[in-house]
Amino acid sequence: MLNPLRSEAEAFRFVLLLLGYFAAIVLAKAVLGTTAALVVFVALSVAVAAWIVRARSAA
Amino acid sequence: MTAHAPAVDVHHGEHHGPPPAHQSSRVSAPVLGMFLFIASEVMLFGSFFTAYFFVRVVNPDAPGWPPEGFHVPVFVAGVNTAILVTSSFTMHWALQSIKRGNRAGLQAGLVLTLAMGLTFLLTQMLEYARVGFAPRDTAFGSVFYGLTGLHGAHVFVGLTLLTVATVRAFRGHFSPEHHHGVEIPGIYWHFVDVMWIVVYATIYLL
Repeated sequence: MLNPLRSEAEAFRFVLLLLGYFAAIVLAKAVLGTTAALVVFVALSVAVAAWIVRARSAA
Repeated sequence: MTAHAPAVDVHHGEHHGPPPAHQSSRVSAPVLGMFLFIASEVMLFGSFFTAYFFVRVVNPDAPGWPPEGFHVPVFVAGVNTAILVTSSFTMHWALQSIKRGNRAGLQAGLVLTLAMGLTFLLTQMLEYARVGFAPRDTAFGSVFYGLTGLHGAHVFVGLTLLTVATVRAFRGHFSPEHHHGVEIPGIYWHFVDVMWIVVYATIYLL
């Protein structure tokens, strides 16, 4: 499997992306409830997976 | 004559010892080594998260989470989270500085990262002293201290690596061409930060 991270700079960007990912899930939980948080979690996870697949096929 | 051919090229005298290792990856071997180590660490944290979620879902009839009588300091841990996330910025700044030949930026970035990491760890210890329950107090206490303690141990290791990098930075080591001694602790530090975001979101917020 290809390592998605190549350097410190990419590891740093991963920190920021993960922060946004969890912030969206937690915000959905706080404002709309557990079901909404689950929907956000699934939607974001699918979006990230699709982005990774597209990036790999483009490379 | 021995059974093995000599490693030295006797005809040209250009290379001594075994042939240089073949490198097919675009990532340098030390960086790749750190990434592989982090992959094993992800599995270790994964086992602790498995225990946590097992404890959490095994009692679906429980009135709430955390269980009654347990209160985790969400605000203090949130401030601690902000401190640790900020330390990733200063770590990144330190590396970018030395890549541009800015030694003062490298030193300042490393010292700030070290200070914020130390603040995080001390706050975590204070939290343990005041949280009001112990690891032996039900399965929740065990998984809470297990996950946060595992992460705290990683912060300690990260601080040790950063201390070495900081001392070297003040001794004049590292240059725009050679800065693995900053980059590799930096990758580890970002991993520690990532794991805390997951731990905090899971244990304190969700």
